[in-house]
Amino acid sequence: MKLVKRTSVLLTATALVSLLAACGGNSNDNQQAGGEKLKKISLFQSKVEIAEPLEALAETYKKETGNEVEVWGSAGDAYMTQLQAKLAAGEGPTIFSVGTGAEAIKFKSYYADLSNEAFAKNIAPDMALKDGDKIVGVPYGVEGFGLVYNKSLVDPKDVSDLASFTKTLEKFKAEGKNGLSLSQEAYFLIGHIINTPFALQSDPQGYIEKLNKGEVKMADTKEFQEFAKFMEAIKTNTVNPMEVKYDTQMGDFATGKTAMVHQGNWSYGMLSDYGDLGFEVGMMPLPLAGNDKIAVGVASNWVVNNKADADQIKAASAFLNWMFTSEAGKKAIVDEFKFIPAMTNIDAANLDPLSQTVFEATKAGNTIPWANNYFPQGVIINDLAPATQEFFLSKDMTGEQYLKNLDAAWAKGAK
Amino acid sequence: MNKASRTSISALLALLALAFLSPIYLMLVNSFKDRAELYKNALALPDSFSFQYYAKAMDKMNFMSAFGNSLFITIVSVAFVVVLASMTAWMLVRTDNRLSRIIFLVFVSTMLIPFQTLMMPLMQVMDWIRGNLHIPMLNTRGGLIYMNIGFHASMAVFLFHGFIKSVPIALEEAATLDGCTKFGVFWRIVFPMLKTITITVAILDVIAMWNDYLLPSLTLSDKGLRTIPLSTFYFFGEFTIQWNLAMAGLTLTIIPVVVFYMFAQKYIIKGIAAGAVK
Amino acid sequence: MSKSNKGWFALFTVPLLLVFTTVVIIPFIIGIGYSFVSWDGIPANPKVFVGFDNYATLLRDDRFLTSAWHTIEFTVLALILVNVLGLAFSLLVTMKLRVSNAARTMFFMPNLIGGLILGYIWQFIFTDVFKYLGDKTGFDSVFFNWLIHPQFALYAMVIVFTWQMAGYTMIIYIAGIQGIPDELGEAARVDGANLWQRLTRIIFPLLMPSFTICLFLTLSGAFKIFDVNLSLTKGGPNNATELFAMNIFNEIFGYGHYGLGQAKAIIFFVLVAAVTMTQVIITKKREVQY
Repeated sequence: MKLVKRTSVLLTATALVSLLAACGGNSNDNQQAGGEKLKKISLFQSKVEIAEPLEALAETYKKETGNEVEVWGSAGDAYMTQLQAKLAAGEGPTIFSVGTGAEAIKFKSYYADLSNEAFAKNIAPDMALKDGDKIVGVPYGVEGFGLVYNKSLVDPKDVSDLASFTKTLEKFKAEGKNGLSLSQEAYFLIGHIINTPFALQSDPQGYIEKLNKGEVKMADTKEFQEFAKFMEAIKTNTVNPMEVKYDTQMGDFATGKTAMVHQGNWSYGMLSDYGDLGFEVGMMPLPLAGNDKIAVGVASNWVVNNKADADQIKAASAFLNWMFTSEAGKKAIVDEFKFIPAMTNIDAANLDPLSQTVFEATKAGNTIPWANNYFPQGVIINDLAPATQEFFLSKDMTGEQYLKNLDAAWAKGAK
Repeated sequence: MNKASRTSISALLALLALAFLSPIYLMLVNSFKDRAELYKNALALPDSFSFQYYAKAMDKMNFMSAFGNSLFITIVSVAFVVVLASMTAWMLVRTDNRLSRIIFLVFVSTMLIPFQTLMMPLMQVMDWIRGNLHIPMLNTRGGLIYMNIGFHASMAVFLFHGFIKSVPIALEEAATLDGCTKFGVFWRIVFPMLKTITITVAILDVIAMWNDYLLPSLTLSDKGLRTIPLSTFYFFGEFTIQWNLAMAGLTLTIIPVVVFYMFAQKYIIKGIAAGAVK
Repeated sequence: MSKSNKGWFALFTVPLLLVFTTVVIIPFIIGIGYSFVSWDGIPANPKVFVGFDNYATLLRDDRFLTSAWHTIEFTVLALILVNVLGLAFSLLVTMKLRVSNAARTMFFMPNLIGGLILGYIWQFIFTDVFKYLGDKTGFDSVFFNWLIHPQFALYAMVIVFTWQMAGYTMIIYIAGIQGIPDELGEAARVDGANLWQRLTRIIFPLLMPSFTICLFLTLSGAFKIFDVNLSLTKGGPNNATELFAMNIFNEIFGYGHYGLGQAKAIIFFVLVAAVTMTQVIITKKREVQY
């Protein structure tokens, strides 16, 4: 089964233009009155950052409709384990969240069909989580990553290809600054940055499938050969990312010690904790193999558990409908969750600078997909990260050797 | 021992203790800093000692409700563990046959199983009990207490077993001759002699259960049932932690156990002073 | 056993055994069953019986074998350090010194901090504090970021585990020392025995039950270590500190190879149980009954 149509990974310009076109004032949030008493449902999701506003939203929902939603909580990376255990116990939540790609496929037997729900028609084109032709999941919102840079230190013109990128890093090194910072967390060390050479393939998912079967090698693919050179430049000219945590990465960036970080729009939340930065922040593409686009995708989706009883499924749809169409719900998604909405009926307003860049790139169709959503399960943390740690820790390893190691690691992880 | 060596031992102790406490120092000072200040220097004393993060953490954690849940679950679980495990261990020691030895070995060997490999089947068993015996094992305090007893049984039996062996049997025999039932012998004669180890077991189990995150996170879902460690989840994102709130939350979590430990420790020492233990 | 004795035996042991069986034994047996199955751990997804395939796979799994070796290395180091320190602490704090009370609390304090956050705090120490000390003192061959050096990262785990467990074993050793009648020590002192003789001839032999307990508890704690592993090193760098429980966890929840993960757990359990049971039986034989 193909859970998500291949084309849906590739956010096309047309798709997003239509998203925007619909962002006008049409609000269809006036059908919630009803007053029907629905069964209490539970909601479980992975993003700790929105836990509190979500609880508050459930309160509002109760006030407005009299129906109850119990919001469960879990700490960061414990979510998947807890979800799996609760499903095993027949205690699964009514509404839960899954990541796009491998994770969504893993839980596919639990999805209720949402195709006929009122809110489904508002999902931006190609953004819905699908099982065949059925819509089974609603996107949280879109997110994007690339090179987040300090506008007072870096001119994007100086970071336009491998040569200028390397030169810029060397210049910063000579000045005693860190030109670019990755950090030690698996996704920030390798998971995101390796997305670019994958996304640049003409058919990223097809390439991944071939890689899984051993029909192609990264070492023989042009974009990856250049990727290895980028990683070499980073290793030679910047602070060892193994010494850097996400916290210090963003701290160094906020205080001007680091000129660029490979990060996403979510990192703005960290920067805002530092108050007035004294410089402007921007996001630009990683200029690998001529790439001039930032990577945009859907990280998580809401799904409804089809193992819940019919009344609960009904109540779950009602809640999702309310969240995506009522004023309170739409306001919470944009202002409190701070998502870049992927619904045509929700307007994106007051975005932070990074999210604004992502939003505009999306609008203009200037994006590459998140191919890493389609990696084999666990491969980033279990295989690619260790190989990359080795690369950054051994002084003599060349980019070429590193690429071979990545191929070997991939082969293990894809088993 | 002469005075000089006493003083030097005291000095050594103080030094060691200081080294032992440095992580706790980090925990305390960083509960007063915002992200920028923490980034500047994690080791320094905070610019100001304002308890705003404590207040905020308490508010977010819904502290009183979580405290009540933790207290209830821990006390009831520990009481059951102590009573049931001491009775079992005593029987196993005093009944010297193959069955006892096998039961004891099973208790002990299961202490080597990593919890991560038990959790999925455990959930299925609890689901089965709920489905077929109609006892609500999941998402209830009672269910968690039941599982706590099961998971802490081994170590308690192991500890009691070891100590009961050094309790002289003569007193028990005398009591039996006087017409005491086994029940009477155990509760009137044996249990009071186990005070030191009982308190030790209680201390270790109280701490383990009070701090436990994984098991409660699997069994308790509803907000109203959250224990203290569960309610700190708000501060732990996937990639970053709200350090000040997390540290404040952690400090709030451990204060009750520190108080309990100091109290329980005094109790052991009093027992020693009165010569009541042996 | 007489009939009434059997009744008493049942009355005393069955309640706990019942709970214990439903919570630990049955799930464990189900877990053994899963080790013969290929399954991704999602309840609704198919389970396929594969016989001993998982066991065959794990024997060829270099990463698992390396992880098992690291676990053994970690456990041996931890076992020694924890018990030497725990015993030393217990002797120190039972010496009726003015600071005994305070010291006892302080040594035990690390135990009161549970779970993941402990590892995060130690991360600060091994990265920031060590670097700071290295810069200030010049001893940068000792004080550098331990967590990115494969061997030192493992030592870092030993240190954190010891920091946490030493106070724990101290409590049990204290209970053991309290159980030794004062008269024995006094008598020896009157007979002219020095401190070392009193320790090795009287106290240590009588502490054998405590040794058995502490060694076993440290052993089982070290073999099963997970929280500290996850929060301190996440198994890195380059899997150098991926200990056993974490390897299983990654297999089950990372790759979604539930059956394989269970097979690993079973194999390891059998090996460890064989080793520790031997240890328990040996030390038990040396215990003095009085």
